[in-house]
Amino acid sequence: MHVRKRDSIQRTLALLITASLLYIPANLYPVMYTDALGSNEASTIMGGVVLLINLGSAPVALVIFVFSVMVPSAKLMAMFYLVWTVQRHSPLDPRQRSTLYRVVEFIGKWSMVDIFVVTILVALVQLGGLLVILPGIAAVSFAAVVILTIIAAESFDARLIWDNMDEKNSVN
Amino acid sequence: MDGEIACQSCDLLVNVAATRHGESASCPRCGCFLTKLHDDALHRVIAFSSIGLMFLAFASSYPFLSLSSSGVESAITLIQAPFALWSKGMPEVAVLVTAFIIAIPALVLMMMLTLCILITRGRYHSSLLPLAKGIFIGQKWSMVEVFLIAVIVAMVKIAAMATVTIGISFWAYGAFAICFTLAASSLDRYQCWQKIALLAIK
Repeated sequence: MHVRKRDSIQRTLALLITASLLYIPANLYPVMYTDALGSNEASTIMGGVVLLINLGSAPVALVIFVFSVMVPSAKLMAMFYLVWTVQRHSPLDPRQRSTLYRVVEFIGKWSMVDIFVVTILVALVQLGGLLVILPGIAAVSFAAVVILTIIAAESFDARLIWDNMDEKNSVN
Repeated sequence: MDGEIACQSCDLLVNVAATRHGESASCPRCGCFLTKLHDDALHRVIAFSSIGLMFLAFASSYPFLSLSSSGVESAITLIQAPFALWSKGMPEVAVLVTAFIIAIPALVLMMMLTLCILITRGRYHSSLLPLAKGIFIGQKWSMVEVFLIAVIVAMVKIAAMATVTIGISFWAYGAFAICFTLAASSLDRYQCWQKIALLAIK
C-alpha cells in the first residue's frame, strides 16, 4: 500500500509550467559552440540534428531528434493532458491514460542524451587552437526541462485517473 | 503475509500469493506491473552489484575515449568528462551529470549490496528501511544506459572532424551498465519490502 501524493495536481501543474517556460530558451539558444581553426559556430538542439543529417548519419540524427525534440515536447503535452482530464473528471478510457502515464514515466530520463553528448564533446574535443567545443547556455535550460518533467511525472498521482471511475461505476 | 498488494497506479487490491519463481504479476485493471518473483533474487543482486562496482572502479581509472587530429591528441577518463563542463562555466550541469552517470548508480549498487547481505543474514536491522527507500529513489535517477547511447552519438558527431579511439574503460562502463540493469531488475520492490517486513516481525 502506498500513501497518496499530497497536492499532486497543483505540484505537477506548477512544475509543468516551469518546464514549458524553460523549454523556450532551451530550443532558441545554442547548446554548444564549435571552434574550428578560428571559425566559431553555434548550434542549437535542432541545428545538431540537421548537422547529423548533413554528415550522412541519419540513424543517429533520428535518435537525437526523437529523444531531444519529440520526447520532451510530447511528454509536456501528455502530462498537461493527464492533469486536464483528471481535473474535469473525464470519463475517457482510464486504462489508456494509465498506459500513457507509464510511457511518460519510462521515457523521461532518455531526454538527457543530448546533455551527455555535449558533456563528452566538451571534455574530449580540446585540441588547442585546432578544434575546441564549448557548452552553450541552452544546455542548462534543457537539463532543467528534463529534470523538472521527471519530477512532474513523479509528483503526479496516477491513481487520480481511477478515482473518478470508482465514483461513476462501483463494480470493483 | 496474505499476499494482497494495492496496485501502485490504480489502488486495486490484487492477490499475488500464487506467483511462482520466474513469474511476474500485473494489475488486471490498469495493466501496471506489480511484482516479479525470483527465489534466488538476493544472491543475484549480491553477485551483480559486486561485479558492477568492480567494473565501475575499473572504468573510472583508465582512458575512456581519446581523440586525435593532425598530430594533436586528447584523452579523457570517465571522471574528467563532467569536470570539463565545470571549468567551462557550467558547474550545475557538471554536478548533475556526475550524479546521474557515476555517483547515484554507484551509491545504488552499494546500497543494494548492503541491503541484500543484511537480509540474507536473517536478522532485522534498523538501516534496512532507509536503504530500501534510497535504492528505489536512486534507481529512478540512474542514467547509465542513457549515457552509453550518448557516447555513441558523440563519436558519430566528431568522427567527421577527428579520429576517435575507444578506450578500455568504455567497455568496462558497458559491462557496468549491464550489471547495474541486471541487479536493479532482480531486486523486486514488493518482494523486497515483504522480506523486510518478515524480518521486522520475527
